[in-house]
Amino acid sequence: MAEIVLFYLLAAATVAAAVGVVMHENPLLCALHLVLSMLGVAGLFFLLQAPFVGAVQIMVYAGAVMVLFVLVLMLIDTNQDDEKFSGGNISALTKGLSVGVLSGLLTSIILRTPQSLQRSVTYEAYEVIDIAKLLFTKYVLAFELLGVLLLVIPVGVVALSRIRGGTHDR
Amino acid sequence: MILPILVLALMVGTFGTLLVYVASLLGPKKKKTVAKYMPYECGLPGQETKKTNVSIRFYLTAILFIMFDIEILFLYPWAVAYRDFVDAGQGAFMFWELFVFIGLFVFGLLWEIKAKALDWE
Amino acid sequence: MGSDVFEITVNVIKMLIIFLLMVQLVPILVWVERRGSAFIQNRFGPNRVGPLGLTQLLADAVKFLFKEEFVPPKSHALLYYAAPVLALIPGAIAFGGIPLSMPIDIQPFQMFGSEWGPYTFKFQSYDLDIGILFILAISSLGAYALLLAGWGSNNKYSLFGALRASAQMISYELAMGLSLVGMLMLYQTLNFSNMVELQKGPLHFMFFGKEILIPFLPNWGIFYQPLGFILFATAAFAETNRLPFDLPEAEGELVAGYHTEYGGLKMLLFYIGEYGHMMVASAVMVTFYFGGYELPFSLSDSLTGAVRGAFSSVNLGNVMAALVIHVVMLLKILFFLWVFIWVRWTLPRFRYDQLMDLGWKTMLPWSLANVLATAYLILMAGSAV
Repeated sequence: MAEIVLFYLLAAATVAAAVGVVMHENPLLCALHLVLSMLGVAGLFFLLQAPFVGAVQIMVYAGAVMVLFVLVLMLIDTNQDDEKFSGGNISALTKGLSVGVLSGLLTSIILRTPQSLQRSVTYEAYEVIDIAKLLFTKYVLAFELLGVLLLVIPVGVVALSRIRGGTHDR
Repeated sequence: MILPILVLALMVGTFGTLLVYVASLLGPKKKKTVAKYMPYECGLPGQETKKTNVSIRFYLTAILFIMFDIEILFLYPWAVAYRDFVDAGQGAFMFWELFVFIGLFVFGLLWEIKAKALDWE
Repeated sequence: MGSDVFEITVNVIKMLIIFLLMVQLVPILVWVERRGSAFIQNRFGPNRVGPLGLTQLLADAVKFLFKEEFVPPKSHALLYYAAPVLALIPGAIAFGGIPLSMPIDIQPFQMFGSEWGPYTFKFQSYDLDIGILFILAISSLGAYALLLAGWGSNNKYSLFGALRASAQMISYELAMGLSLVGMLMLYQTLNFSNMVELQKGPLHFMFFGKEILIPFLPNWGIFYQPLGFILFATAAFAETNRLPFDLPEAEGELVAGYHTEYGGLKMLLFYIGEYGHMMVASAVMVTFYFGGYELPFSLSDSLTGAVRGAFSSVNLGNVMAALVIHVVMLLKILFFLWVFIWVRWTLPRFRYDQLMDLGWKTMLPWSLANVLATAYLILMAGSAV
């Protein structure tokens, strides 16, 4: 019972924060609401008995990716550039369109989901060690490929900042 | 599992907000003078606001941090499970698996150093 | 949180007490910092108010409360006010996750005319299986308070201080996270209580199929991973923005860094946040490398046995034994906090490029090498601990 109440509270907070992301005019406040939303998602992972995923969600999304966003947004003069972020008819059109498409997709999925509240699967708490035993044996190729994928990030970032017209143009 | 953490966060947040609020009530109310309400500058009249150029390196550092952070996160489950695999006789496989992963990691780091992306003149 | 009223009440009170413990340690630490720095620099320090200047803390607290309210113009008032409160939260949550003493077993007892079942109270606000990972994750949120303070106060010094602080925090988070991986290989767990359990007794481990026992050393993590400890301690100094890594508040260049425009109680909250991070770092160091709340060898058992024997009631004996062990943990934490203060008044400050070089080009490779070397040794020597 307490878990269900907690779920609805967290879900409502997450959605409210996500609404804040699109409704605020100041891009920095949008980013901060996105942080709150990420933390809410992490809380939902905890409720699903997946604390490892929840902690990773906090660490990577709230602690690393969003710090980058906030850093970048602090470097541009947001008072002056407000209109570039939120304004214009084309922008409003695309916003409305994407909201429509997304909500359509979501409602279709919700309608197709069987409406029984009985749990067919009992969820066991995922131990970190169980994740490890799957990840490093069955999915080892994916794990190594992830290493390669991550390698692309620094190379790409530096290369992009060095091209002609880039920030580190030589 | 998460309830105590939320309660704790709420508790601390209330404590901090209350303190700030109480202090704002107790403090003396004095006249706002122009000089007092200038952004702090070392004795001179303020010239610049926060609109100043900031080195792009902060941004580069943050992006590189994301990459290395994700790699380190994968080492945690690996470290916890490693000795079970050693005891089961699969230690060598796990070790070389990690060796390749860290090798990619080190390659990225060396490339960054060579490209002088980590230099702060 | 608990199954009945009594358990829930105790858990909430426990949470509050652990938080208040953290908060009230701060004025004492400020006093130690000022008197300690005076001692190191052959001065007197604050010695007028009360014995040894101890009531100076009280006077300071009152002074902070009665400061004039100030909001810089053109600043973002909400963010300006939110930053000091946010500075408090990550440290307080992280500190709650570390066991400060052994669990307290309570036998069934009578109260208010009804039976209250057996309980086990852990001496921490919450206990997660992923302990250390959650604490690292929560601590990484500390960067937001600094960024918001810097951006919200509309001052270039604040903004630069915040940028420097966050870049420094994220750089050293890598070395910090990596330096623990070697130890985790040996412990095979992320949970703090299990780690403390594994560090009991004298130093003993299996090495190439032989059992090695060194009776005069405790079974502490520091003897398995000395390099890991040095790397972690260095990274902890950088994470908490303490000298020799206090570039964000280098007063020669940046006035006071991200809290230039803050004063009075809001400034105090930033202080509590900073000292809170130091306490978390010290507590993690103690738990990972220095046996947690346990005394070396089996001294803990004999000590708690003696305490339990002194009380007629079993429940009271258990509570008192846990409190005695809690003092041990506090003393260990205070020792490392003293090291933080000691280093601050001994070493000069780095330059910013030196700081970044140390983090990325020295500590990161060394901690990677530590991970690989530990893994190779475990593979060659079979099981270690």
